[in-house]
Amino acid sequence: MSATTIFGSDGIVPSGIAVTGVSRAFGSVFALLDATLTVPAGSVTALIGPNGSGKTTLLLMLATLLTPDAGSIRINGHDPVTEPERVRALMGWMPDTLGSWPSLSARAALQTTGRMYRMTREQAAARADALILLTDLTDFADRPSRVLSRGQKQRLSLARALVHSPSVLLLDEPASGLDPAARAALRQLLRRLASEGAAILVSSHVLAELDEMADAAVYLSDGRTASPEQVAAAGASARAWRIRSLDDAALAGALAAPGVVGALVQVLGVDQLGTLVQVENEASAAALLHNLVLSGVPVCDFGPAVGNLEHTFLDLTRERPARHSSIVVNPEVTP
Amino acid sequence: MTKRVFLTGLWLIVTLELRQRVRGVSWYVLLGIFMLLVGIVTFLLWLATSAWLSGGGGVFGAIIFFVLLLGTLVSPALSGNAINGDRDAGTLATTQVTLIGTGQLVLGKFLAAWITALAFLAAALPFLIFAVVLGEVSLGTISVSVLVLAAELGVIAAVGVGLSGILTRPLFSIVLTYLLVAALSLGTLIAFALLGTATQQDATSVNYQVVSSTYDEQTGKQSDIICSTAQTSTYPVPRFDYYWWILAANPYVVVADASPGSFDENGSPTDLFGQIAVGVRGAQTPPALYSEYNGCDEAANGYFDEGASTRPTAQETYDGAVPSWFIGLTMHLLLGAGALTWAWRRTRTPATHLPTGSRIA
Repeated sequence: MSATTIFGSDGIVPSGIAVTGVSRAFGSVFALLDATLTVPAGSVTALIGPNGSGKTTLLLMLATLLTPDAGSIRINGHDPVTEPERVRALMGWMPDTLGSWPSLSARAALQTTGRMYRMTREQAAARADALILLTDLTDFADRPSRVLSRGQKQRLSLARALVHSPSVLLLDEPASGLDPAARAALRQLLRRLASEGAAILVSSHVLAELDEMADAAVYLSDGRTASPEQVAAAGASARAWRIRSLDDAALAGALAAPGVVGALVQVLGVDQLGTLVQVENEASAAALLHNLVLSGVPVCDFGPAVGNLEHTFLDLTRERPARHSSIVVNPEVTP
Repeated sequence: MTKRVFLTGLWLIVTLELRQRVRGVSWYVLLGIFMLLVGIVTFLLWLATSAWLSGGGGVFGAIIFFVLLLGTLVSPALSGNAINGDRDAGTLATTQVTLIGTGQLVLGKFLAAWITALAFLAAALPFLIFAVVLGEVSLGTISVSVLVLAAELGVIAAVGVGLSGILTRPLFSIVLTYLLVAALSLGTLIAFALLGTATQQDATSVNYQVVSSTYDEQTGKQSDIICSTAQTSTYPVPRFDYYWWILAANPYVVVADASPGSFDENGSPTDLFGQIAVGVRGAQTPPALYSEYNGCDEAANGYFDEGASTRPTAQETYDGAVPSWFIGLTMHLLLGAGALTWAWRRTRTPATHLPTGSRIA
């Protein structure tokens, strides 16, 4: 994947984020060993990894707050280490910690941030009003920010990252603390910003959500980004599918009958949502569905049990202790 | 960054700090209590020094010292967590990713802390004016004292903000700022006294005494004086003159010594600041290590204080010594500037080094 280019005012400028072989240690502890990724302009990329895998460290380096020990970072062609001011002018960062000036109202905080980006008083005021509308903070805009709820603070933090209309957005856990409506609004907002040409990197643990908005994903584990080959292999590996039928007995019978379940399919268990089966690939899933329907089983739901990102994530981190052990293996059903 | 852009950003940080830290009722209550205390002290001093007769010199000096005392007690609490407190609250990094530079950030926080401390000086102004109205305080004393006091409050603000950038934990930086203030205010006195008395040197004194004589009751004079041989004795003397600069680092001494000394016709200081200044500058003079006393001469010629003509008056001591306020204030300014520079280096981003246990955001 190579960074796309757009015509900037001073010629051809590689736009978006390009990170190559970045490492960073804190004392003797390595936070990042080898991170390589690109986020082209006009796209949303998910940054996925277990806790402590170096996501925040990577974002801090992209946000011009931390220098890498090795490797190179380019934000729209600028190096955050040697040209931090140019990077700051075009980059918006939403940290994972909720920090806001406690005695300032949301409106005053946004105006102040605008002034920090060298806007005039009038520009900053207009921008603050627009962002308050955009992030749905109108009802709380004039209260001191210390009385805001977690979700409201999160929205304020997002608004602050957008004050100077950045073309590169770095979001660290933007959805945490948001209610479902706000999550949907966030998703739509990020898609819209991407369609307007922004390069967006989002780190989150809510993988299902990222599935819906991310164009690409970067997997970070123990300080290393997974190579495209690893990701492809993990994505193609056997995965669990969930089958729900109007007639549980018929489904169980069909799955137990020889011939219906092919060699590449393995029944994993039954839970309250349906029956889980391990399917080698999508072709054998299609064959399984075909056979079930032919056997007269009234199938009403048939699909992957986990999203693409989650599946890949779990596969890549399989050697670690399982965090999301939603699959319960029932030895009685397993042949 | 042009100068205009720099100053706009700097002032933005100053106003943000002031809105953050010193707005609200509690702040005005604190100022009110401070004014009440200064008022009580002024009234009691007015009674105690009979200022309606002797003028406001003593009252003025005491108020200046009292403002310095309260300023040094309040300032560390207001400035000592300026940077690491923001880091804890998560508002430091969000400022650092904007176009506000580290210089503007550190300098802005320092200016805000200084302005806060100056508010206390401003609150004490009515009482200073009262002391001036009582008379006997020169315009020079007033302006210099107020200016130097303002500078000293600035030094403490700089040290507080500096330490808050150097140390990770707000509690530590506040406590360390207090310890530093205590070291300057009390530690210098203790160190001066202890070091001076511990560094002793033997002084020699040679005495000649009258062994026998004939006393004439009519004239009151002695004759046929037989003198003793030279009796040499040695005794230890403290060498305070090695350590006068420690005393010069005391902020109270700086404020007192800086005001232009006023002396009466005998060359004696007329106000509190002058007395302190003479004492401090007198410490620069090395002690006499050799003295001679000739009792026989005195017996023959009558008592004659040989030293009186050569011994300098207080004013001569004052004028002949190095102005210790200059040394002290220079040390303080270097301390404040050093603390701010160090804090700037530690706060600069992108950061190459993180203090252990700290989180950048």
